[in-house]
Amino acid sequence: MSSESVAHAPSAAPGAASRESAFKRLLGSPLTQGSLTTIAFLILFVAYGLWLGDKFVNIDARLLDVHQNAPILLLGLAVMVTLIAGQFDLSVGGMATLTTFLSVGLVVDHNWPFGLVLLACLLAGLLGGLANGLLVVKLGVNTFIATLGTGGIFLGISNVLFGGTQLAPTGDSPQLPAWFSGEGSLGSFSEKFPSIITWVALAVCAVGFFRWLQGRRPEQRSQASWNVISGGILVVLAAILFGLDLVGWVNGISVTIGVMVLIGLILWIVMKYTTYGRYLHATGSNPEAARLAGVKTDKETVIAFVTGGLLAAIAGVILAANQGAASPGVGTGFLLPAFAAAFLGTVIMSTGKFHVWGTLIGGTFLLWVTQGLIVGGLPFTWTDVVNGAVLVAAVAVSTVFRRRA
Amino acid sequence: MSARPGVGLRKKRVAMTNGSKDIQRAPRLTITGLKKSFGSNQVLHGIDLDFEPGQFIGLMGPNGAGKSTLIKILAGLYHADEGVIKLDDEPVRSLGSRTECGFLHQDLGLIEDMSICDNLRLGQEPMKLAGPILNVGRERRSAADAIARVGLDRGVDTPISALAPGEKTLVAVARMLDRGARILFVDEATSTLPVGESRRLTDALRETVRDGATVIMVSHKLSEILDCTDRVVVLLDGDVTTDEPTASLDRSALVRKLVSAESESAEDLEPDNTFHPLGGELLALDSACYGRVGPVDLVLRGGEIIGLTGLPGSGLHDIGFLVQGSAKPTRGSVRVGDGVKRALVPPHRETQGGIPTTSIRENMTLSSLPRWRSVTRLLSLGRESTDAQEMTSELNVVPGDAEGAYQVLSGGNKQKVIFGRVLLQEPQVYVLCEPTRGVDIKTRTEIYRLIRKLRSTDVAVLVISSDSEDLFAVCDRIGVVDDGRVTELESSEEMNTQQLEALV
Repeated sequence: MSSESVAHAPSAAPGAASRESAFKRLLGSPLTQGSLTTIAFLILFVAYGLWLGDKFVNIDARLLDVHQNAPILLLGLAVMVTLIAGQFDLSVGGMATLTTFLSVGLVVDHNWPFGLVLLACLLAGLLGGLANGLLVVKLGVNTFIATLGTGGIFLGISNVLFGGTQLAPTGDSPQLPAWFSGEGSLGSFSEKFPSIITWVALAVCAVGFFRWLQGRRPEQRSQASWNVISGGILVVLAAILFGLDLVGWVNGISVTIGVMVLIGLILWIVMKYTTYGRYLHATGSNPEAARLAGVKTDKETVIAFVTGGLLAAIAGVILAANQGAASPGVGTGFLLPAFAAAFLGTVIMSTGKFHVWGTLIGGTFLLWVTQGLIVGGLPFTWTDVVNGAVLVAAVAVSTVFRRRA
Repeated sequence: MSARPGVGLRKKRVAMTNGSKDIQRAPRLTITGLKKSFGSNQVLHGIDLDFEPGQFIGLMGPNGAGKSTLIKILAGLYHADEGVIKLDDEPVRSLGSRTECGFLHQDLGLIEDMSICDNLRLGQEPMKLAGPILNVGRERRSAADAIARVGLDRGVDTPISALAPGEKTLVAVARMLDRGARILFVDEATSTLPVGESRRLTDALRETVRDGATVIMVSHKLSEILDCTDRVVVLLDGDVTTDEPTASLDRSALVRKLVSAESESAEDLEPDNTFHPLGGELLALDSACYGRVGPVDLVLRGGEIIGLTGLPGSGLHDIGFLVQGSAKPTRGSVRVGDGVKRALVPPHRETQGGIPTTSIRENMTLSSLPRWRSVTRLLSLGRESTDAQEMTSELNVVPGDAEGAYQVLSGGNKQKVIFGRVLLQEPQVYVLCEPTRGVDIKTRTEIYRLIRKLRSTDVAVLVISSDSEDLFAVCDRIGVVDDGRVTELESSEEMNTQQLEALV
């Protein structure tokens, strides 16, 4: 013991330097960087809680925010896919509006069987995405211009087909299916997602987290002691979550939210565990290098637009389920929060990469920031101001911080 | 040396006398005790250097030896922890803001869409006629003088994008001189230039030295340093280990200074003249045309390493793209043997090679991903990362964690990762474009060793490089691309550098 300290004595000053640099390394590590924005948001929510009390700390109300805005979060995923490919898809708002009108209008005005209606919506998303993809890839039209134009066309078609006015089932018109919209249906908040599935999913997450920790064992720790430490971390985390009424959260999840998370899960698997996901990231990051490495960049880009179109179409359908009606241009205002969610996703749980969970969580945080202010007395007309400000602030702060570290 | 540069030189002299009236001697630059650490890692251990005016200095050393750090401190991008920089006995913080100093990087900082004249005027005091109206005539005359001084014979309205790479570099030099730079730092500006064009640049730099300027040139090219500098400074691990007149060094002495104790590396730079058995034909170009090349006839056989060289603009690399298949011939054909897989190391590492936002693993496995697909069609990340880690260690990539970020690697290590990608494909035809561009001598020997190891009777290797050293070190037969066509391939044993450079 004493001989060791003697041996280390002359290097006291470098020791201090390495402690300092260890601190810097910790600050600079991807994990810290990725969680910083998350922590900032959580601190903000604690502040909201202290300020607004039960009006903000209310599981049902907060889950209702997510439920009502599930279409926006899905649009966030839609734009995320094309952003990964290095493209912008500004047409998703128009597409969502179109499929909302198709869902309601084809039933109410034209009495189509509902299965066919859903098929038509998905087909619209597929064809719309294909049109975007071919315009950008085959004709080389600038992605902003192409999707701005097609977005206008999608929106316009919804007006042309259904008269450009609010559309909802009336007493003597055909009704939307009871399972789809209205009380106790897919679209209603009171219809809850089977909690057993959520619990199983959480258990899988816990196991995954444990294994992830296992892979990060510091060399000086023995396997046994690290097992105990990992287990301890897991127990503490679980205790915190249950302390925050995890049971209440799980029971409060609506079918809409569940469906949204399932779509997110599928997309995440595609992005992480398929060759397609890897090719898409490579295409977005350096198209020339990807092409020379054998990636069919044109094909991947078209598929990205098609996926984006399909997700936007689904978002529109869910919007119709939630509202049971279609209003002109309903999806166009969603473009800002959708892009905000995708870009916030690059600074949440990630350092600069687009990410499914980042997008969903970033979008949700954004909602809560705005809702908190509205609950606190801000008129709802400020929503877009807050959305824009939070997006710019979060991305700017984390960019500056990353440059410093 | 070949006969051609002489002609250019004479033209330049005439031009020089026109412009030399405003040229003054460079100040003396003294650096004492310069130290710099990043975290606990000391990169410079106290550098002492003294640069008299009128010297052409070659600064050499492996990647990571501290050359770039030294230049960045001098340019004011980093601050030294200790040490003094003096210009003519006046201590200065950095040279970045001094008009008498100029820095030329690989990225020349020219705007491609603008003319030579407009590029020269950027960031300069405007020459005005009246009020905000510019004196265009005076600007053009001044620009013409400036480019004549470096021996560039082009109209001042020529857009930068229309110039050859070497000419662009000359414009960048002209701009530095025009702004009054007398101490020029040239950081690997020749690494992407073919022999003929880099000689034009070094000739122009030589002329400025003759007029009393100081040139400090960072380069990995041995022959260039030996041919044109007066003095060689070698940095190894943050210390000046060699500071000698160039005249006292020959090629092998310089190689020894660069690789310090490792004598085995030096051998790897020498050609390998043993006999190798040939295999069958794997791929052939039949009068293939694409872009500026063609018609090209070329046969690749197993067991053979073929080298091609030529000027940029000769369509040199297009032949590589044709062979690899990412370009389709517009006329003629490419015959590929049954089941022959082809893989490519692209010529431009930054723009064509790496996927910057991903890890070393993802960069390496990109071209052979289906290999790690399981029955569910999903990727098995575990197997993928084991294989990538194995390749990372085998190629000696530093730092050696395959999950680490790609973008922060040094040029040589990035090149190894791209090689890893190609090796994981296990192709029968390797197309290696500019395999050693901008990498240090140690990595270069590693890459040469790697290329030689590829040789087997069922594998063909095509090396396409503007660096003749590559061709002599690894190739069996060498061809020159001239005017879109490939000359008769000749055995590398029967050729020497001078002959080859004369052909290019």
